[in-house]
Amino acid sequence: MILPLLLLISLLLFPFTPFTAEANDFSGYAELKGFAYSECYDGEPYGAGSGTLFSKWEHRPGEAQLTASLRAEWLTSPQDELSFDPADRRLRRSPLSLRDLWVRLPLAPSHDVEFGRFQLGWGQTDGYSPADAFLPRDLTDPFTDEKLPLWALRMSGQEESFRYQAVLVPVTTPWRLPPLGSRYAPIAAGALPQQTVLREREDDPPVPGFVALRLLATRGDWDLGLWIRTGVRPAPLLQFSLDPALQTGAAPVVSVGRRYAREKAVGVELSRVAGTYVLRAELAGLLSKDAELGDAVIGTASVERGFGDGKLLVTLAANAIDPPVNQTLLFDRALLPALIAAWNQTEPWGDWKLVWTVGLEHMDGVAKGEVGYNMTDTWKITTGGDLPYGSENGALGALKKARRLYLALRRSW
Amino acid sequence: MIARFARPLAAAAAALFLASLCAGTALAAPDARTLLKDSENRHRTKTQQYAGDLTVVNKDGKVRKKGWRSYREGYAGDAKNLIRFTDPPEVKGVGFLSLSRPGSDNPDQWLYLPSMKRERRIAPQDRYASFVGTDFNYEDMEEFDHEKYKVSLIGEETAEGVPCYVIAAIPNDKGTKSVYQKIILYLRKDILYLVREDLIRKGEKEPAKRMILSDLKNVEGHWVAGRMEMTDLKKGSKTTVNLKQITFNRPHPASRFTLQNLTREGGD
Repeated sequence: MILPLLLLISLLLFPFTPFTAEANDFSGYAELKGFAYSECYDGEPYGAGSGTLFSKWEHRPGEAQLTASLRAEWLTSPQDELSFDPADRRLRRSPLSLRDLWVRLPLAPSHDVEFGRFQLGWGQTDGYSPADAFLPRDLTDPFTDEKLPLWALRMSGQEESFRYQAVLVPVTTPWRLPPLGSRYAPIAAGALPQQTVLREREDDPPVPGFVALRLLATRGDWDLGLWIRTGVRPAPLLQFSLDPALQTGAAPVVSVGRRYAREKAVGVELSRVAGTYVLRAELAGLLSKDAELGDAVIGTASVERGFGDGKLLVTLAANAIDPPVNQTLLFDRALLPALIAAWNQTEPWGDWKLVWTVGLEHMDGVAKGEVGYNMTDTWKITTGGDLPYGSENGALGALKKARRLYLALRRSW
Repeated sequence: MIARFARPLAAAAAALFLASLCAGTALAAPDARTLLKDSENRHRTKTQQYAGDLTVVNKDGKVRKKGWRSYREGYAGDAKNLIRFTDPPEVKGVGFLSLSRPGSDNPDQWLYLPSMKRERRIAPQDRYASFVGTDFNYEDMEEFDHEKYKVSLIGEETAEGVPCYVIAAIPNDKGTKSVYQKIILYLRKDILYLVREDLIRKGEKEPAKRMILSDLKNVEGHWVAGRMEMTDLKKGSKTTVNLKQITFNRPHPASRFTLQNLTREGGD
């Protein structure tokens, strides 16, 4: 394990070495971030901080493209030990993680093959897209919506106005959850008996991932899409069981395991430019024989309009089938039905945004505001806040204990 | 057609040179349309590409810089443009694709944002918006098609130190969704090259923005301004563009102006 880690660290530090070749392109950032919470939750302090170093290397020999990137982070809160986890399969994330490691080769002028570790981005409706929502997220910080990269093989291409993407993901990268029992946990404080001890098992996610095909067409003001996928759903199903063998005191000890269901899905995407608006909609059918997951029919509709240097986006998303279990624990569907409204504005000095997400079933939500000030082209200071509210039975209301303000300083290169 | 952003970023430069190398040609009664058509026919290029860097200075003197690569093929009615930002890190990799659509005033436009890993179509309304924080808006980046404007020669005067024809261009009534109510073009008389442009927004009388083209040089037989300066006269900010590595009429790869290429991370 030491050798791979040394290689990763050398990649992280490579931009600072004096022999950077001109053909190589290095970029990245270093960031310090501090959080102030509204409450001291279960021994977790009012304040926390983190430091992040991200480095990316890109090389373009001929028509090919090579990219590698690595992230190192340090947290003031308890952090997992340094480990080699190149597929992000472990329960907690390593302080050092591989974000990109991929090669793209041209097969023909408008057809490529790409393999390695990279991030996927699908769907039309921003805020919530059923085509995109199942892709694994790292919820270590549930407010950042950080998507995890995948080890995958992707073929893509275009002929006239038709495009395709075929993706094979041979290894499951599971959703990563915050420590259960922490302020970021998606389980409401009152959902379990007081003092309950949760012991999360480091279960091995299944090896096979999923395959997907996405077909896209553009005609006039219309963009159309059709996709299918089948394989392992990366979001876990949690299994809670009392574990008397581990119980030493009065507090019950609950063992939490993870299992992963198989799922088939098909969906359509539609978008249209209508005057000054962009209208988007998606409809997806998700089928699973797993009794705890069940089927889903998820529809979304969004409207987007630009106002000068600002943009307003409103998205409505809903699942027509009630899930068989508490949907908070289904993660990619936890929020549905939901309304997401976002305003992004670019200013000469930086940018700001306001995002309001509401879970319509429990009427819980989170209001987010953020202001970024560009001190220079490479130094940026960002401040903002996340304000979850409402019923703790909802996925967002359960995060009330994590209300926070933050301040970040970033130096990019 | 005069490339609007030819102006700076794009396709433009080439199209802007209305350069008439026939300085001796008699222009006894110049007509605006004739001037524009004539110079366009003589000096249009099939393709263009360059690397650019720009500096934005706001009214407080704060400086921001950006770098990009630009590719163009065709002209206004059938123009294809691709721009890829290379600097600063915040916008690195952002791609912009504009494809003119026959019979439509509005080209199809998409943005690729590396953070989202997918392209987003842009609605025409977004033309008002500043292009990545510069003094150019999205409309400024489209090819300028004088056929979509009523043009008239309104005089001759010295601008930027050279004698110029002054042409007013007013958007045609029919279906025009221009940000501007009127554009005043200053064409250098000797080579019919655009050296200045005053942009008057709808509902306003005075120019809101002014673009000045300078550092003219002849590259591969085509006049091109190596420096373009867009000033927002109301905000007091200024964006200066310098063009480098300019080439004309070199064929582009077949896939350059496609969504497939736009979404190639690290690509053109």
